[in-house]
Amino acid sequence: MKVFRSHILLCGGTGCRASGSLAVKKALTEELAKKNLSDEMKIVETGCQGFCAMGPIMVVYPDGIIYMLVQPDDVPELVEEHFIKGRPLERLLYKEPTTEEVIPTMHEIPFFANQELRVLKNRGIIDPERIDEYIARDGYAGMAKALTEMTPEEIIQEVLDSGLRGRGGAGFPTGLKWKFAAGSRGDIKYVLCNADEGDPGAFMDRSVLEADPHAVLEGMVIAARAIGSHHGYIYCRAEYPLALTRLNIAIEQATEYGLLGKDILGTGFDLDLEIYQGAGAFVCGEETALMTSIEGKRGMPRPRPPFPAIAGLWEKPSVLNNVETLANIGQIILKGSAWYNSIGTERSKGTKVFALTGDVNNVGLVEVPMGTTLGTIVFDIGGGIPNGKRFKAAQLGGPSGGMIPLEHLNTPIDYERVAELGSIMGSGGMIVMNEDMCPVDMARFFMDFCQDESCGKCTPCREGTKRMLEILTNICEGRGQEGDIELLEEMAGIIKDSALCGLGQTAPNPVLSTLRYFRDEYEAHIKDKRCPAVVCTALFKSPCQHACPIGMDVPSYIALIRAGRLEDAYKVMLRTNPFPSVCGRVCDHQCQSKCRRGTLDEPVAIKFLKRFITDNANRLKVDPVPVTRKEKIAVIGAGPAGLTAAKDLAIRGYQVVAFEELPEPGGMTRYGIPSYRLPRNILKDEIDDIKALGIEIRCNTRVGRDISFEKISEDFDYIYLAPGAHKSQKMRVEGEDMEGVFGGVEFLRDFNINEETWLKGEKSLGSQVAVIGGGNSAIDAARVARRLGVDVTILYRRFRQDMPAAKEEIEAAEHEGIKIEYLVAPLKIIGKDGKVAGITCQRMKPGDFDSSGRRRPVPVEGSDFTLNVDSVVAAIGQTPDLSFVPEDSGVSVNKWSYFDVAEGSKSQSTSEKFFAGGDAVTGPWTVVGAISGGHQAAVDIDQAIRNKNGEFPYEAPPEEKIEIPLEIDEDTEEQPQAKMPELDNTERRSNFDEVELGYTLETAVEEAKRCLRCDVEI
Amino acid sequence: MDKNISLTIDGKEVTASPEQTILEVARENGIYIPTLCHYEGTTNPGACRVCVVEVENARSLVASCCMPVSPGMVVKTDTKRVMDARRLVIELLWASGDHNCLKCEKNGNCELQDLIYLMKIDKPRFEIESPGYEIEDANSMIRRDLNKCILCGRCVRVCSEIRGNGVIDFSMRGSQTKIVPAFYNDLIDSECEFCGACVQACPVGALTFKQARFGGRPWEVQKVKTTCPHCGAGCQMELWINKDRIGAVYGIEDDNTENRGQLCVKGRFGLDFVHSEERLTKPLIKKNGGFKEASWDEALDLVASNFKKIKEKHGSDALGGIASSKSTNEDVYLFQKFIRVCLGTNNVDFCTRFCHTPSAVALSRAFGGGAMTNSMRLSEKADVILISGLNLTEMCPVPGALTKHLVTFDNLKLIVVDPRRIKIIDNAEVWLSPKIGTDVAWTNGMMNVIINEDLYDHDFVERRTEKFDELKEVVSRYNPQKVKEITGIPKEKIIEAARLYAKAGRASILYGMGETQHIYGTDNVSALCNLALLTGNMGKEGTGVNTIAKQNNGQGAGDMGCLPPIYPGGQQVSNPEINKKFEKAWGTKLSMKPGITESDMVITKGKVKGLYVVGGNPMRSGPNLNNIEETMEDMDFIVVQDMFLTETAKVADVVLPACSFAEKDGTFTNTARFIQRVRKVIDPVGESKSDWEILCELSRKMGYEWNYSHPKEIMDEIASLTPPYGGVSYDRLENGGIRWPCPNNDHPGTPYLWKEKFNTASGKGVFFPADYNPPAELPDEEYPFIFSTVKELCHLHTGSYTRYSKALAELSPDDLLGVNPSDAEKLGITDGDDVKVSSRRGEIMIGVKISDRIPEGTVFSTFHSSKIPVNVLTIDALDKLAKTPELKICAVKVEPV
Repeated sequence: MKVFRSHILLCGGTGCRASGSLAVKKALTEELAKKNLSDEMKIVETGCQGFCAMGPIMVVYPDGIIYMLVQPDDVPELVEEHFIKGRPLERLLYKEPTTEEVIPTMHEIPFFANQELRVLKNRGIIDPERIDEYIARDGYAGMAKALTEMTPEEIIQEVLDSGLRGRGGAGFPTGLKWKFAAGSRGDIKYVLCNADEGDPGAFMDRSVLEADPHAVLEGMVIAARAIGSHHGYIYCRAEYPLALTRLNIAIEQATEYGLLGKDILGTGFDLDLEIYQGAGAFVCGEETALMTSIEGKRGMPRPRPPFPAIAGLWEKPSVLNNVETLANIGQIILKGSAWYNSIGTERSKGTKVFALTGDVNNVGLVEVPMGTTLGTIVFDIGGGIPNGKRFKAAQLGGPSGGMIPLEHLNTPIDYERVAELGSIMGSGGMIVMNEDMCPVDMARFFMDFCQDESCGKCTPCREGTKRMLEILTNICEGRGQEGDIELLEEMAGIIKDSALCGLGQTAPNPVLSTLRYFRDEYEAHIKDKRCPAVVCTALFKSPCQHACPIGMDVPSYIALIRAGRLEDAYKVMLRTNPFPSVCGRVCDHQCQSKCRRGTLDEPVAIKFLKRFITDNANRLKVDPVPVTRKEKIAVIGAGPAGLTAAKDLAIRGYQVVAFEELPEPGGMTRYGIPSYRLPRNILKDEIDDIKALGIEIRCNTRVGRDISFEKISEDFDYIYLAPGAHKSQKMRVEGEDMEGVFGGVEFLRDFNINEETWLKGEKSLGSQVAVIGGGNSAIDAARVARRLGVDVTILYRRFRQDMPAAKEEIEAAEHEGIKIEYLVAPLKIIGKDGKVAGITCQRMKPGDFDSSGRRRPVPVEGSDFTLNVDSVVAAIGQTPDLSFVPEDSGVSVNKWSYFDVAEGSKSQSTSEKFFAGGDAVTGPWTVVGAISGGHQAAVDIDQAIRNKNGEFPYEAPPEEKIEIPLEIDEDTEEQPQAKMPELDNTERRSNFDEVELGYTLETAVEEAKRCLRCDVEI
Repeated sequence: MDKNISLTIDGKEVTASPEQTILEVARENGIYIPTLCHYEGTTNPGACRVCVVEVENARSLVASCCMPVSPGMVVKTDTKRVMDARRLVIELLWASGDHNCLKCEKNGNCELQDLIYLMKIDKPRFEIESPGYEIEDANSMIRRDLNKCILCGRCVRVCSEIRGNGVIDFSMRGSQTKIVPAFYNDLIDSECEFCGACVQACPVGALTFKQARFGGRPWEVQKVKTTCPHCGAGCQMELWINKDRIGAVYGIEDDNTENRGQLCVKGRFGLDFVHSEERLTKPLIKKNGGFKEASWDEALDLVASNFKKIKEKHGSDALGGIASSKSTNEDVYLFQKFIRVCLGTNNVDFCTRFCHTPSAVALSRAFGGGAMTNSMRLSEKADVILISGLNLTEMCPVPGALTKHLVTFDNLKLIVVDPRRIKIIDNAEVWLSPKIGTDVAWTNGMMNVIINEDLYDHDFVERRTEKFDELKEVVSRYNPQKVKEITGIPKEKIIEAARLYAKAGRASILYGMGETQHIYGTDNVSALCNLALLTGNMGKEGTGVNTIAKQNNGQGAGDMGCLPPIYPGGQQVSNPEINKKFEKAWGTKLSMKPGITESDMVITKGKVKGLYVVGGNPMRSGPNLNNIEETMEDMDFIVVQDMFLTETAKVADVVLPACSFAEKDGTFTNTARFIQRVRKVIDPVGESKSDWEILCELSRKMGYEWNYSHPKEIMDEIASLTPPYGGVSYDRLENGGIRWPCPNNDHPGTPYLWKEKFNTASGKGVFFPADYNPPAELPDEEYPFIFSTVKELCHLHTGSYTRYSKALAELSPDDLLGVNPSDAEKLGITDGDDVKVSSRRGEIMIGVKISDRIPEGTVFSTFHSSKIPVNVLTIDALDKLAKTPELKICAVKVEPV
């Protein structure tokens, strides 16, 4: 046998072929020949390696160096560097997506390291077209044992003992199935292999057939021996040409070797195998339909009984096993049931192969022990969700299955647990979905699939899925009605209960599953005509507008920028947003995360463009609105929620008085957000515009201190409570009350009120500060501290990607020299002389997943360490301070210190007279969230008044007509977002000037041109 | 079926047998479960799901139609869960299509409508959406409105499972699913045979009778049960009559019928000949070479006077009568009585002379009676059926379909012998394709193998046969090699067929005119009789030698004595005692001299001077037509009694308009001896009359006074004189047919013949071995092709009435010459070309149909059309015993034109 210096295992699976592995092979062959290396290096075309997203994949042995995304152009360099100079080519090696660490060898890559290969043990190692390579890795040894040493009963017992269950999805014990067929009388019996893999996103079987076809053949011979069959069929979909080719080669070679056909291994046992190509009907994966199809008829399921073990193919006893099931058999026989069932859970033994697809970094094929958690598969093996999006759910079992949502990431995947969660194991398709998944749309998609693939035989499936699809489509398109959900549930129940075959019986599963976990999103579609995931296009003009809590008409103002009509753009913004310049700076811009442009290159810089308008448009003169209504309204808290409500109510003709505890209005925007992010004058201009409508703002007036709650109740007809959340949460560690320990918001507020004092050094954090937390307040506090010249360390107990703060804020903080320690939690504050001297922390390690879908930090025993600091800012969260609300006021406050909202209302408190909104209802949220709360309250208060008076609902005066220009570029070229010019880093440290400098007109127009104008129907 | 398990349905303890379904048991016990896709006689697909029930411990609801019962099962059919599911299914079906009853032919007879009403559903919760399909009715028979289709699949199953055709199937998927013929054609462009079984099976208005459209709603029509007038199968049908017109036609789904609900295109759609504009409505008298309408009196007077004149001048035997296999028993009985009594001669015959008489001769001499020994129904008990010279699916389509069904679903095996690859060969285990005219040889060959391999039934041969040694001696000369030389059938095939037939527990033989229309037709049938006797396949269910008569009453006309040597019931005219019996009964002196056959009358010139033809058409059905024309023109006086002006009627002196089967009462006896009622459904067309009425009037004019007021009285007379019909009366026939022999009122009829003994002198079956002899005329250089006449699905006989059916004419307008592709190539002809075909006797012009079902060197043609006198080609060489012409073989040449 010829010996080579090195083996190059090039993946020849369908995925890698599609990404060009054959061209790479050709280039490699030529290059090796050119360099006279053909005798030293051997190229082996293997089956699928599983890591399909990174294909073409190449593994070089003996070192096991793995290259990814190899292209023919890379070959000369690769040969030169690796095969001649012996230096692995780094740029083609794997980089861990989160840490960006380069990992050269296969077994170290988490994708591979966390897998347990049994079914796929030969993948990427052997040439599937050479039977010798299979045999060299114990191939056909299990079969030999079964045929020469075991009776059929013993074979069945071994499989029974192994606990192997059908990998096609239903999980019926394989040994039991064989036992029934073996006990069934008949001179002719059939063994059948179900390779009609049809779930969207599933490619496990294809991969096994392509990578290790003999494993399936071996399993079939053993099955045949066990039940006494001499003829078998492999029903493989015709869309798998490579699998078919390799199966054919395998059958030919096995027959030639006497491992198939007549007198196998001289034992006298015969088995002929034939391949039957399916014609692409999903239902043909259903066992009776599959058999009907082999019989040459239209693939339609038939009723059971009779069960296939009694009367299957051509009414003869038949056993049908899935590819993966069969691929397990040889090893079970060879190594014994005890070996097999040593891994897995109590009732689900062995491993399961999953086709991991969807919104996950490492799309590919993975094999894990039964009982591996969903989180491990998605985050460790799968590498998490791309583009910083959040995991929302994983669909198991394709259109017959259901979703496992975020809150069940810790679920060990086995047949029972998955079923308990309303999903099914299925054949192993695992589609990962991120926050952009709309469950209604997804249910509609799967229902559409089932409706298309329904064979049309039984009424519940044929007509029922059609009607369910109709209802789902209606909901997705804004025509959902009250009662739709109940009708869906009723139909789902009946269809499951009455359909003829598995296809129909499981078709309602995605609907039931999404209803189980995302009913609120269904309701949002039906009642509010909103798609919270911003997917159902019929419900909105453009995704950005729909994603915006206040529905800002983004495409219009961007189009107006492009046309140079900045005043019109400003007017458009003011229609929905009283604080556009604030939002242009500090908004969390949900709009951008849903921007369609983002699917091409990067989202349009909506936030920056918004700011550009407010920076550059001439401010419009605001005239007072005459008071036309007798009702007087008080607003408590002059933050964005309160002022928005005040403005809306004033426009409607009400007299409004706002009460503000702090010296100036603005709430958290004034006292929480530092001025380098939001300059004071900008904020003041916008608040002045609101005041100009005729609204009185009484500052330095705390309700309950400066004016009594009762007095306000008497003086005003309606009161809007919007006091915000201005109290930091406690860390609950020892020493927390010591001098030098600040709450995050308290620190920021104090700084913003007493800026001079701080700047002069009359107030100080010392020279070193630890900021605890990972949210925006923590970053704000850290960056303010940094500007005060303090050495800042942020301590965060989770990973960086888990930080709630805006990514750009974190980067800016680092940029400014702030240290961030991850996986660290405070244990106690160490004091000296009653003042902070240090903080003792503990290292954390990631544990299981919490309800937010992030790894729960778990303390590492004995990892305590102490940082010497002069002060500590604890910015781990805020709560409202609602102590001003008397207990007998009828306004109820819940255990998280938020206002309760009356049932059926979005803003009315439990008292008819009081409405509430902003952070004091929602918990700490965004500015735009508070604005939306203000709008809501104004509408609700006005409506309450009019209802009470028996008046017609408010009709807004007609808006000024603003023509929105339509200019669309015919060709869209990839072009990233325009950069925001920033203040130089050295300048930043010493002052509180605004860091982001704003777009120039030219940049803004260019950026505006990137808008794809999804709002326009052409 | 042992009812050995017990279960509970709706709290009621019931017993059942394990092979029963929940549905069957529930129905037996009076518990209603609705169904839609369930259709008796087909597999249960469990598709519609309206029959779902709750079974304790079952994971989900189960379809009761396909769930077998099991001991201790607890079934609930009326829980809320069940009702909710049913209701949803009905709502979904309702909303799925254009179920608008206002203009639906099924209104009042629709199973979906029934269920909606029963379940009290006001309206579906879903928007009613018609798929918007075009109506498919490019044919004149079946209207397919798939907007009303509920996809129960009954039509698909009845087509594939019962009819064995599989013309339609589901296509597309999901809610687009649609039932279509191949390539989405209209049925007329598919392989559809238009048996209409799908229409009958359809529970809703998706498939309806186009001919019956707007022809009366279910509650407006009169529904009459009668017997199909077309082929010899004797299918029972229910005609829907409105305003004297036949509308929808349903097969009667009763186990005591031969057809059990099935019909063929002729019965289903081919009854419209009754309403043809071309029906004769008045008697016609020929004057100056043309016909003039006349009154009945005038015409009958002329007939009577001419018959009297000839009788006086040339004697009674110068007169003759040819009866029809289509008339009722009562009509043909009276006809032979008329010939024998009023004309005084036994010169009475019927059209079977040209087709099946060799059967009568051979069966009679072997067994003692010339009828089908078993029945089509009894073929169900056979393990093997040998079909020879019989295009079963076209000749006798309903039994053909049921046979195919048994092959598919019941392990029946077929041996088919036919030079053409006829359709049933697709279902055959063995196909023997002999050269035409070599039947004795292959049959002897099979017996040679059976005897050599000792596969014959020693016991049966010993106990129940005679002349075995003679048989043995003759067949010993026919080893497979020799047979191959004569017949062209490979040796192995002969051996395979012989073994299959001989080893079968029960083997039946069905044969047709491929065996009989030869100069050695009698030998051919005898050979088959020998085969059956040799293997003991006689005298039990599922066996026998079964001749398939092509016409509806071919058997009855023979039974009724329309044969020159015999009275009704096979009683010899030459037997003095018999003669005396009839003379007494009929009150007149009768001739003891056996009469002459139809062949003698129309082929040999001068044998008769006066001829009375009822319903026959020798001018198209006889051999060597030019000669027959001369013979008939030579006669002094010819009367033809028919529904239409046939070619034979055209040469008559008087034409009498006769009623169709729909306008009279009577009985038909089918090919399997099954006597069934024909009922009057409409009034006679024009002045036409029933044969029996005409004969009564004519008898009066001939000096006899027959006063029958209703055919039932004639049947009473038949019963009194005809032993096998002794127990037959209209009262008994009211509830279904009787299979003769039925000697007395208490006798239940006889399912199969010769159970204990044969009706021969010795009581044993007699072997009549024969050697192979060549046909009368074989191809030569000048006339290189064998020409053979055949029948096809849509027409019968000379098409003398089927071609007046619009539907049948649409499906099969013309006679065509079937030619093998390689012959066609040699001749330089293509499909649809006209060719000249000539024999030593005449020539025709005919269109060509090229088919690989046709063997090389042989051309085939039907003879159903009036336009092409196909039989000018055929030879009038006769079987010496049966006097049946060799219509199956003559030599022709084919020339392109």
